[in-house]
Amino acid sequence: MKRLVLVRREQPLRGGQPLSFLIGLVVALLAGILLLVASGHNPIEIYERLFNSSVGSSNAWAKTLNRAVPLGLAGLAVAVAGSMGLWNIGAEGQILAGAMMAAWIAQIGEGWASPLLIPLMLIASILGGALLASGPGIARAQIGVNEIITTLMLNEVALRLLQWLIHGPWKDPESRGFPLAPLLADEARLPKLFGRAHWGVIIAFLVIAFFGFIVSRTTWGYELKVAGSSGATARYAGISLNKKIITVMVLSGGIAGLAGGIELSGTSDRIVEGVSGGYGFAGIIVAALALMRPSGVAAVALIFGAVQVGGLSIQTLGVSSSVSTILQALILFGAIGAGVFNRYSLKSVKREKKGGST
Amino acid sequence: MTSDSPLAIELVDIWKRFPGVVANAGATLSVKKGTIHAVLGENGAGKSTLMNILSGVYRPDEGQVRINGEQHWFHSPSDALASGIGMVHQEFRLVPSFTVAENIVLGASEKIIRRSFIEKEVEQIAQQFGLAIDPTRPVWQLSMGERQRVEILKTLWRKAQILILDEPTAVLTPAEADELGNVLRKIAEDGRTVVFISHKLHEVTAFCDEATVLRGGKTVASSLKVEEVNESDLAGLMVGSSPMISERPPYQEPGEAMLTIEGLGTLDDRFLPAVKNLNLTIKSGEIVGIAGVSGNGQREMAQAIAGLRPITSGKVTISGKDLTNAPPSERFTAGLGYVPEDRLGVGLAPRLTVTENAILRSYKNLRKSIFLVSEQAVNYCKEIIERFGVRTGPIDEPIAGLSGGNLQRLLVGRELSGNPKVVLAAQPTRGLDIQGVKAIQDLLIDERTEGAAVLLISEDLDELLTLSDRLLVMHEGEIVKEFDPTTAHRHDIGAAMAGKRDES
Repeated sequence: MKRLVLVRREQPLRGGQPLSFLIGLVVALLAGILLLVASGHNPIEIYERLFNSSVGSSNAWAKTLNRAVPLGLAGLAVAVAGSMGLWNIGAEGQILAGAMMAAWIAQIGEGWASPLLIPLMLIASILGGALLASGPGIARAQIGVNEIITTLMLNEVALRLLQWLIHGPWKDPESRGFPLAPLLADEARLPKLFGRAHWGVIIAFLVIAFFGFIVSRTTWGYELKVAGSSGATARYAGISLNKKIITVMVLSGGIAGLAGGIELSGTSDRIVEGVSGGYGFAGIIVAALALMRPSGVAAVALIFGAVQVGGLSIQTLGVSSSVSTILQALILFGAIGAGVFNRYSLKSVKREKKGGST
Repeated sequence: MTSDSPLAIELVDIWKRFPGVVANAGATLSVKKGTIHAVLGENGAGKSTLMNILSGVYRPDEGQVRINGEQHWFHSPSDALASGIGMVHQEFRLVPSFTVAENIVLGASEKIIRRSFIEKEVEQIAQQFGLAIDPTRPVWQLSMGERQRVEILKTLWRKAQILILDEPTAVLTPAEADELGNVLRKIAEDGRTVVFISHKLHEVTAFCDEATVLRGGKTVASSLKVEEVNESDLAGLMVGSSPMISERPPYQEPGEAMLTIEGLGTLDDRFLPAVKNLNLTIKSGEIVGIAGVSGNGQREMAQAIAGLRPITSGKVTISGKDLTNAPPSERFTAGLGYVPEDRLGVGLAPRLTVTENAILRSYKNLRKSIFLVSEQAVNYCKEIIERFGVRTGPIDEPIAGLSGGNLQRLLVGRELSGNPKVVLAAQPTRGLDIQGVKAIQDLLIDERTEGAAVLLISEDLDELLTLSDRLLVMHEGEIVKEFDPTTAHRHDIGAAMAGKRDES
């Protein structure tokens, strides 16, 4: 009997990324045909809509880009921590913290001009996320508390705080009983870039490029990578870990907080319970698919965003949300997950016969 | 136990290869039924691999496994257990929140667990062999010695006729170790067979009937009667000869003292004293070798000198500069090149590229404000590759693809690239192929010629005898004797390694 195993390539394939992307996408779409036919849909019609609604027009691109912004920033937050081997599972809560801080500044600064108000809101959102992540960072550095647990638990804290605000002090008197904060004033909204795409696209791109550059080109980023590869090696090289752990967690939280500020100011326009949109958790997937490299996050987030937008759109053609989600997952993992073959090759080996003594 | 007891275990000409390493190269082992048999060897001699083959964890590439005269081909540890072979691993495999009895039954193919019945059975076996333990106690409450008893009970309860214990005394206090010896004796007297892996010689002579010595994956001495050998002979066998390639460098007059260690003390991972009041001076242009059975403080001494382990007493000076409390990076700048024993876990960062690893010690000199200048880094890396003959793929790919020998060349080259005053090399040639061994040894000789002070810690006695100008033997954290390598006898060195002190 034969079976297939993944064998690590001695050297990764050079320039295999675009090819594996295309092959993976085609395989995923072919598998998707089976799924769609089995669930009683016309695959051609569905795929046409999937494509048109996500990248087929400038309007579609605007939607995709707006979604890629929080995905990319949340992914960057996870990847920056991940470069040092830390897991920030709390991007979801940090997004909420950022959004709440931005909304608070928007209330304080009512009537201020946009060029003053919006930067202040975004800075506040960074501080909010950073503050929420600083606790886990300090606890990890000083007494070795696992940051996965603490960041995860703080998600709940941030969510409860937000619920209290929108059920209580921040509740919009005109919301007819719904737990919503009031709409932001026009001055507090991010200006549009084109169509519905807002300036957050530019901000997110710059932030991702900045961190990609910092991690790959500075001695600080180098130390980060050494520490992420092996703590013992970092000590041997004379890199002190504790200060770095705190800095990295604060930066990671700040990036996620910024995602919350941009999402509030650019897309949702008010604090509601779903303002974080699950982007904090999706960010973990984005970072993992980008192999924890900050520079790889933008491309993954863009694909992720397009697939999400397309997946929502095909639901208006009667595709159930579960079928749509399976299709999204297929495309995402097909297109990006196929990159694994750049580092591993498939090998068929003979299975040994089962049995005891001979 | 008589000499004509039937053989319980026969391992014949076992070969096992892992990528880049031959762990067993024709190892053999014959163990008589009803005896306690020691398997001796240094780290990396192939003991664990051989035992893992016997217990079904690995399958041999070549060779035969015969149990009670019958040939077997195990596919898994449970396969081996079905043939009566149980292994007690160094790391215990117990569930802390389960009771002793629950842990013992865990993994056995019992459909219905009759708790009180099993508890009674366990208690009975425990009593028979003197393994005092309460089967209803949860494991988290037990000491390490008691946990080990649970592991032994686990194999006995499953009717193992052959017990393999992998360095069982490593986690025990001396009193617990003696007690374990009594238990093993009772198990052997019951007609079962015990295989005892160790590198603590006094335990082997105290508990065991016969001993087999492995070195470099081969059996170098098979089924020696313990009564007929002494500890020095065994120590000599463990560290015997590997093919020597490098030649003894010509004598040169050593210069001024480069590395001075006064009254050094440090603790091991369990916070017990590992090095006690150690004094050592190494001069420019000499190689000082440290011999010793592993686990006698060599590793901790190296880490303390390198700044990776806190120094509890004493002083470390490099060419006049007191570095006792300096961080590792400051020691490097002061002229200490350190080749750690654990290459991939400490000396290199496996996920990073060749270039990133090459600059690990000097990246701070390759920057312009906050930026790492990549051309400088690449040039620095290329220099090391060229000067030290490292064979690599693309230098911007992770080092994971490099062979063991080339990883070590990269590491040693990086440490020597700053022209250090003192080179501290811990097991620099272990596990390398012949070419790699020669390359690294020649580099150390070159450093000596150029006037560096070299401290070489090795388990290869031939390497030490060939390279060293002075040879020191370490035992239980102290230097017990100094030899002149040109005149020393192996037997005397072996005796010193077994703890025989310098009388003079």
